[in-house]
Amino acid sequence: MELGIAILLVIGLAVFTITPLLAPEGSAEDALPIDVTPLTDLKRRRMVVYENLKDLEFEYEAGKVAKDDYQSLRENHLAEAAQLMLASQEQEEITENDLLIEKQVAERRAQRKSKRPDPFVCPECEFENPLSVKYCGNCGKELPQRSRKK
Amino acid sequence: MNQVGAVGLIAALVFAVYGMITGAAAGKLRSPRMLKSAQRAVLGFFAMTTLAVVSLEYLVLTNNFHSAYVAEYSSRALPVLYKIPVLWAGQQGSLLFWTWLLSIYVAAAVLLNRKKNRQLMPYIIAISMGVGTFFSMVTFSVANPFNELNLASASGVTPYAPPDGNGLNPALQFHSMVAHPPMLYLGYVGMAIPFAFAMSALMTRQLGDNWIRVTRRWVMVPWMFLGIGIVLGGQWAYHVLGWGGYWAWDPVENASLLPWLAGTAFLHSVMIQEKRGMLKVWNMVLVILTFFLSIFGTFLTRSGIISSVHAFAKSDIGPWFSVFLAIIAAFSLTVLFLRLDFLKSENRLDSIASRESGFLFNNWILLAAVLAVLWGTIFPVISKAIENVTVTVGPPFFNKVMIPIGLLLLFLTGAGPMLAWRKTSFQSIKRNFTFPLIFAAVVGGVIFYAGVHRLYTWMSLFLCAFVAASIVAEFYKGARTRMKSSKENFFAALYNLTMRNTRRYGGYVVHFGIVLLFVGFAGQAFRYETQGLMGPGDLLRAKNYLFRCEGISTGQKANYQYETVDLSVTKDGHALTVMHPERRFYMAEQQPISHIALRSNLAQDLYVVTEGTDPNSGKAIIHVIINPLVQWVWIGGMVILLGTILALIPSSIERQMGKLHKDQEEAVAAHHVG
Repeated sequence: MELGIAILLVIGLAVFTITPLLAPEGSAEDALPIDVTPLTDLKRRRMVVYENLKDLEFEYEAGKVAKDDYQSLRENHLAEAAQLMLASQEQEEITENDLLIEKQVAERRAQRKSKRPDPFVCPECEFENPLSVKYCGNCGKELPQRSRKK
Repeated sequence: MNQVGAVGLIAALVFAVYGMITGAAAGKLRSPRMLKSAQRAVLGFFAMTTLAVVSLEYLVLTNNFHSAYVAEYSSRALPVLYKIPVLWAGQQGSLLFWTWLLSIYVAAAVLLNRKKNRQLMPYIIAISMGVGTFFSMVTFSVANPFNELNLASASGVTPYAPPDGNGLNPALQFHSMVAHPPMLYLGYVGMAIPFAFAMSALMTRQLGDNWIRVTRRWVMVPWMFLGIGIVLGGQWAYHVLGWGGYWAWDPVENASLLPWLAGTAFLHSVMIQEKRGMLKVWNMVLVILTFFLSIFGTFLTRSGIISSVHAFAKSDIGPWFSVFLAIIAAFSLTVLFLRLDFLKSENRLDSIASRESGFLFNNWILLAAVLAVLWGTIFPVISKAIENVTVTVGPPFFNKVMIPIGLLLLFLTGAGPMLAWRKTSFQSIKRNFTFPLIFAAVVGGVIFYAGVHRLYTWMSLFLCAFVAASIVAEFYKGARTRMKSSKENFFAALYNLTMRNTRRYGGYVVHFGIVLLFVGFAGQAFRYETQGLMGPGDLLRAKNYLFRCEGISTGQKANYQYETVDLSVTKDGHALTVMHPERRFYMAEQQPISHIALRSNLAQDLYVVTEGTDPNSGKAIIHVIINPLVQWVWIGGMVILLGTILALIPSSIERQMGKLHKDQEEAVAAHHVG
């Protein structure tokens, strides 16, 4: 009795485990999303420098750090922050450009698709007929019925 | 239920192997479908090990002595509270327990990272399930707790169940022993997760600071459990072994200290990587070392290659573990070597007088401690291999080496946090060190005047004062600064200061706990002991205490017979208390054990043991130990635990980073939809 339940449980879990592999391609995103994008990484590093700066100021106010140390360390931190900010701006531009390019590519694809509706394409020579015709303007073959509709 | 457990064990092994392969494939092919399947395999692994553990506990609780394991480690008279630890009392059960805890950790890692770290997860699953495969394989093939007892006769094999079991080792029938092994194991096992994170970061080349920020918590939690386990082990030794101490440099004790020391080094050096982008290779080495030492610790505890008071197991799992340790070392070091180019330091050490170099010294000294303890622990094996003579190095070696190391570490505990990042001028050093040094000098003078003349003891207490003063100064200065800038009252400022940077101030609380531990350790120098034979009416003097034997009573409980000595105690002539040390004889196990009588306060413990009856005089052998400051060791342990919990609460920068991640996820999701 207990053994039967245990075996059923094992089978159930095995099915549960294997199911994701049986799902059709493309049902999930097609690649694993990136953990930390370069931009987020730069932002995080900048955050760390700001935090270091805040700590330094706090320690200076608390009297832990001498004035000379404070000033030179502060300059170091600020230079580091500026460098990171520049890098993130560049990265942001890259990201924006990437997005722009991707958008344009998508638009062009859409345009080409709208320009080239299937019904006008000859299945034989792949010529794009400008109108719904009975025979292909390029090779003269008869177009299938479905292609001529619309 | 034996068969159900066996089914669980086999299925767990299958799920582990499947998870390992699918995880690796998901990482290689970057396939979300495979990752999902691997994640489900982890849950399957958890469910199946749980089934095996529940089956074994069921067999124990129902006194099913047909099970070889139950017959070996349990008995009918064993109280229910002590039937639970039967699970980890023997080799087979404890390996199953190890595997189960691993399955809990991996399932938690999978569930907590459902939507995060998706690139790292496939290899994390592959590596941790690789470890799971090893442990379930060993449990299944060489240490199976579900073997049954059978009688072979001419007519064939017939099932056999003895009327009662052998019972649990009486030394393990003690309350802190119920919690000590699980805590220690949670510590050992948990180190598999940071190791998996590190390996996955290396394999996916995602070596920014993400993995290290995520991993810190996964190190801290097992580090905390390991610490609790070590302290509970000390309490057990103190209360049960009857020699009045809590640490004997026993190989198995050392085995638990090794990963704790390596983990401590990691928790410190990780800060340098987060703040300054340095020591990236070193941190990898420390994560690998910590995990390696955890497995090594399990191996020492379980293989019986070195004799110890914990001689629970002499077995044939040694070769399995040796091969596994070799695989871990070869695999991790190869992956590390192949990715060295990605682990270049972003900054350089600016000055010797800086927080970074303080951490670096701390790391070197902790590593020296690891090497010293490791050397002393495995010396019997080395000497046997080289000269064919087993030479054991005892407490004198460890004390000689570890006391100076411990004192240096204690000094750095105070000095390190007072140094600024990057560089500290002499002026700053003067400003920060003056108050703690003056305070320590005053305390040092007072204790010298009070009679503390031994160098190490004096230095220990002097440094304790120095570190305590530096910590108090940190909190005080911080709170004062907040009071000025935020117009808060002192307590609100103290609270907000701590909560803004829980990690730093939690760390200071842990340091304070370490100070208390050292106060307790220093007390050992003033230990006093005496021994005498006592019958009714006999007297025994120990310093200013006088013990009088009022009588000896005997009797029997469910699973043991006892002989209790009633002692009235007077201090400086005034009646103080009555103590009842006891000698027990556990019947099922046929073993005697002493049950100590203890009277504790913050200044000292009065520790009384009866070691049975002297055969010549028929009197009780009474051993009295006056143990100063022992309570501070346990209090220190508690404070360390509290500090660790505090440091686990997310501080403001971690919350900001969490938000940044959420924004990124939303942006990525929106991009996908768009």
